[in-house]
Amino acid sequence: MLSREDIEGLATLARLQLTDAEVAGLQTDASNILGYVETISSIEVASPVGVTDTTRVPVAPLHHNIMRADAPRASDDSLAGKEEQLRAAFPAREGDFNVVRKIIQKDE
Amino acid sequence: METSLAQLSIADAAKKLKAKEITSLDVARACLIEIEKRNKSLNAYLEVFADVEEQAKQADARRTQDEKEGKESSPLLGIPLAIKDNILIEGRVASAASKMLEHYTASYDATVIKKLKAAGAIFLGRTNMDEFALGGSTENSAFGVTRNPHDEHRVAGGTSGGSAAAVASGLALGALGTDTGGSVRNPSSFCGVVGLKPTYGAVSRLGLIAAVSSFDQAGPLARTVEDAEILFNTIRGEDALDSTSISETEYPKRSAPKKVGVPVSLLAQGMDADVQKKFDEALAVLTKAGIPWEPIELPTLSVALATYYITNFAEVSTNLARFDGVRYGLSHKGENLFADYATSRAAGFGPETRRRIILGTYVLSAGYYDAFYGKATMAREQLRREFVEIFKKVDIIATPTMPCPATKIGEKSDPLSMYLMDIFTVTANLTGNPALSVPMGTVAREGKELPVGIQFTAAHGDEAALFTIGKTLERGYAH
Repeated sequence: MLSREDIEGLATLARLQLTDAEVAGLQTDASNILGYVETISSIEVASPVGVTDTTRVPVAPLHHNIMRADAPRASDDSLAGKEEQLRAAFPAREGDFNVVRKIIQKDE
Repeated sequence: METSLAQLSIADAAKKLKAKEITSLDVARACLIEIEKRNKSLNAYLEVFADVEEQAKQADARRTQDEKEGKESSPLLGIPLAIKDNILIEGRVASAASKMLEHYTASYDATVIKKLKAAGAIFLGRTNMDEFALGGSTENSAFGVTRNPHDEHRVAGGTSGGSAAAVASGLALGALGTDTGGSVRNPSSFCGVVGLKPTYGAVSRLGLIAAVSSFDQAGPLARTVEDAEILFNTIRGEDALDSTSISETEYPKRSAPKKVGVPVSLLAQGMDADVQKKFDEALAVLTKAGIPWEPIELPTLSVALATYYITNFAEVSTNLARFDGVRYGLSHKGENLFADYATSRAAGFGPETRRRIILGTYVLSAGYYDAFYGKATMAREQLRREFVEIFKKVDIIATPTMPCPATKIGEKSDPLSMYLMDIFTVTANLTGNPALSVPMGTVAREGKELPVGIQFTAAHGDEAALFTIGKTLERGYAH
């Protein structure tokens, strides 16, 4: 079972504040769920990912890169001309600027 | 009593509109009347748009104009639809049923919305869902559960529960949902409507709020297979703004479906006896119509659910990292930058979303990555190959859509037991195949008749086979 420290560590990595009750609940729930999905370790996989036998499989492997043609094309950006709508969504705004916390500072 | 226009199929409404028997305004008003009667208890819509009648009048004007110019109108011109709350419509709120985006207004149209607007469809409102499309019952909405129109003590399914309940109860003629692990098909089964998860890439995802990017697809919910086909044909197509979208010629064309495969060993586990009976009856109807079935084996199916959830947690935790309270969405200020993030995300995300973020962080963390995410990726590729192989032998894989009818609200309080209900739906998302849920009758529970669905899965790109077999089944039941 996951310890209290395990859950708190994951919450820190995920930038998520959890209450004490939630940490306790997650110790049980997350442990049960991970216990179930661990069944994945039982399966033998025929060949490593990326080594796809293309003679047998008529479609591209699941994970493959898609490149568009390296050719100029008209801009069809769905956000073109929507600057004001994007600014309107800022949590805090000064003129056209989004107000954010100064990053380079001593936090602790 | 005359049946409400809100109960018409899209195809029938389109015929009547074309013949001038009715106007779009008539149909839209009929839906608004039904919404007024039932939405308060069902909670299918989070918001009904104020300009529905205005949209309908514009559609009627456009029909007149089309006729004058001799233009063929889309069958969706003037048809009122419900849209899931994670699909962006410019100028309207899109909250993904989350406190995080409660006040977020979409700044552009999703490609599917652009296509529906071009066809002249009317948007009635935005429908309830599990927060960020994480769940299977719409109980994870930050804005209350959606109730099942067939028994309001039961869930509508999820995550597109609002869309399914709306279509089932005449609050819309059709709807859009999104399907990450059954989110269109599960509520379709529970509410008794038709739901399609298209081939991965068949429909553009620009303007959908991402849940699990390697699974997500937008898909239609409708009252008939023909209606689902009309909606799919309107929203499909390659999109330069979605690099995962594919052209209609990506996969080879196949002939009409002749043989069904049933993964019998998967069905042996934990199935409701009444659902099994309905499933057997549906297979008998298809056999009689000239489409027989045979048992098939897909060995990697045994770990499909584990594979699905590992991938789901991993991608959810990374996709939802974008919600940090800095650029848009709920924003809390703490003592420092870390606290800004952690408190914004704690206040914005509901319990299930937080749980999956924690689990995703775990399966992606150093030391566990290979055992969980790495293994899941390999199992997924293996399963996909098994599907490619099996579709050389059969044209359709059939299972029930869900192992049971709609559960009672609050019945599945343990998250793992909720996940296990997705046993039949997650595979199509893992492999990218298209899958369709079609009603296969009802089962009785406590004096109520609850719908259940059969799921058909076809080869990549072969939605045509799904529509053919779905219509065959509908005709078989009608006789």
